[in-house]
Amino acid sequence: MRGASRRNHRTPWLSALATLSAAALVLFGTQNWIASRPETGLSRTGQAQLISVEPYPVMSGAVCEWEPASSGQTLMAVLQQRQANREVSAARRTIERGDLKPIRMIRDDYAAYSSVAVDPIRNEVVLTDENLFQILVYDREANTPPTATMTEPKRILGGHNTKIEFQCGLYIDPESGDIFAVNNDTVDTLVIFDRDARGDVPPTRELYTPHGTFGIAVDEQAREMFLTVQHDSAVSVFPKDAVKDDEPLRLLQGDNTMLADPHGIALDPKRGLMFVANHGAVHKVRAPYEGYVARNGEGKDNWPLDRNAAVPGSGESRPPSVTVYDIKANGDAAPLRIIQGPKTTFNWPTGLAVNPETGELYVSNDMDDSILVFDGTASGDVAPKRKLSGPKTYLSNPTGIWLDMDNEELWAANFGNHSATVYPIDASGDVAPLRMIRSGPLDKPALGIGNPHPVAYDSKREQILVPN
Amino acid sequence: MAHPQIAVFARLADGDANPVRKIEGQKTLLGRTMHAIAYDEIHDEFIVPQQFAQAILTFAGDASGEAPPKRVIQGSKSRLMDPDRLGLDPVHHEIYIPQGDYLLIFDRRAEGNVAPLRVIEGPDTGLGANAAGADPSRNLIIVGGSGFLSPGERGTIFRIFDRMADGNVKPKMEIRGPDAMGGPFAVYPEKQLILATNRPTGGTLAGPESYLGVWSYANGGSDVPLYRIGGPNGIFEMPRGVTYDVKNKTIIASDKRLNAVLTFSFPELFD
Repeated sequence: MRGASRRNHRTPWLSALATLSAAALVLFGTQNWIASRPETGLSRTGQAQLISVEPYPVMSGAVCEWEPASSGQTLMAVLQQRQANREVSAARRTIERGDLKPIRMIRDDYAAYSSVAVDPIRNEVVLTDENLFQILVYDREANTPPTATMTEPKRILGGHNTKIEFQCGLYIDPESGDIFAVNNDTVDTLVIFDRDARGDVPPTRELYTPHGTFGIAVDEQAREMFLTVQHDSAVSVFPKDAVKDDEPLRLLQGDNTMLADPHGIALDPKRGLMFVANHGAVHKVRAPYEGYVARNGEGKDNWPLDRNAAVPGSGESRPPSVTVYDIKANGDAAPLRIIQGPKTTFNWPTGLAVNPETGELYVSNDMDDSILVFDGTASGDVAPKRKLSGPKTYLSNPTGIWLDMDNEELWAANFGNHSATVYPIDASGDVAPLRMIRSGPLDKPALGIGNPHPVAYDSKREQILVPN
Repeated sequence: MAHPQIAVFARLADGDANPVRKIEGQKTLLGRTMHAIAYDEIHDEFIVPQQFAQAILTFAGDASGEAPPKRVIQGSKSRLMDPDRLGLDPVHHEIYIPQGDYLLIFDRRAEGNVAPLRVIEGPDTGLGANAAGADPSRNLIIVGGSGFLSPGERGTIFRIFDRMADGNVKPKMEIRGPDAMGGPFAVYPEKQLILATNRPTGGTLAGPESYLGVWSYANGGSDVPLYRIGGPNGIFEMPRGVTYDVKNKTIIASDKRLNAVLTFSFPELFD
């Protein structure tokens, strides 16, 4: 699809080629027909007509000696070869092994939590699961005993009707308890469910988003919803109640923004700030021509430029960062401050949360198995003022984070060990969680597989390589 | 996807067996949208694309943890735009990067801001380049994608080029592949076979039309697959990539909706 759209604006010769090919195909068909039935057809009507089809005999052995591609092969020859393939193919039969079962299947049996949100009014905690494609709702005070395999959720959302797959961002409407869940990859749709929804039900509402959205934050006073767009290094701001094809209110994207593979996002409306966590990979984007429309952006203003607008060779791998903006930042606005450097100990900083009272910034530091706390005014290469990490914490690839201000608790969704852990809001050092909700056995690591697109085999070590 | 990683499993891993190692973390430079990986058994390395940073990352075969790549191709000379797939010819030291309507060819040993050795592009190529592979023994590059199709056609075409093709050249052969290729394909040069998956379309999350197919490019090739495995109406729900293990005569494939890696015993492909 992307190849087709790119061709449409980059290679106008293709339309001419298509016309030429159509003509060539007609001629090709005509030639065969003339050869087989010279006494009829063309002389009578002047038009090619399909009278009959006679397959070529099945070929075996080396029937064709390939010529170098530079030998002056014509489009007609390519089409003839393709047609010949088809006619040979028509005589072949596929050996159907549709019922063949795998002898082995690597698959995690347990939910892998990627993000977390708390509904203090209903006393529930909500978790997204990127392994089994679910949203799970638990009692906030649930605590899985060490000997238990898992805690049963109160409600589960999942199935094709829900459109839930790689959900990695969560928000709970503080008034209604509605669940907002961001899909990062396969379904360019933000799904919103009533708080008591369960099972394989369609979303109550849905919003069509740019491809690759990750984090979500809402300014309740302004009724604005902020989404990071990982693939395009952008932040899209929608009305909180936007649905379907509603367009963003604002777009933050461009070289000056210093956005680079953005993940989590947090807001501090009281101080007028927006924080974004960046893994560091980025490239420049420019509209390839006037009127260019990015994927999913037909007829919409403030839609981010996408991969087809990438400037070739402009890519960079920058150090990780948290960039800080005015909450109303728009266009190619530079950050007010950047937290970045070795003292920060950032290693794929992913989830963000802000304490609205103190202004402190919480960062779930995925690859450091830690949660970092910075002053809200932090800038440059600064060390966190508190760091929660160590074996007692049970933090393992924390990708999601949430502050429950009503109960003064800090939550982490641990993608690496099937757990969500909760701590005092001011926890620091190597402290045990107050409670832990698990979807799998204690100390059973998660496989971490997510959308295993390619796969390779290491024949030297007899191992299978599986990227996400 | 919340967490980028390359998980490495033992050949016999099954169920929820833990990976024997993972490559992950800031220093790896990895990111999401690794839609291809190639293991180079001659030089014991593996290669992945980094779409967001417009880079090609090469790691030592035994890389583990937060190991940085041995080499990185990246920069203004590279013409890398949104690399998410790649192919490898370890014999001739070449990496193939499909970029929609062109194919970039780099020296496998290149590092830094380097220009491609060659670029296959132009109207005669017919590209559509969404995935790439190689047959080193016959000096062939195989490019999968849609690109230019005849009126009324749809689906994937495997376009086979001479390895030294450069510029606006025609493919030596075209073979019709799956209607909707699910992920990167594999080439088995010994038998002149292409292994690729077919995925459901139309925005569905999964579907019964999923299968793993095997096409021949021997003797002029054939549009009709030799085999269809695991579907339609089989185990697959949304298949993606595929590879194989000659020694143990198995085919290995991934499935997005199962979020799993499946190994099939299929000796007839290798005998």
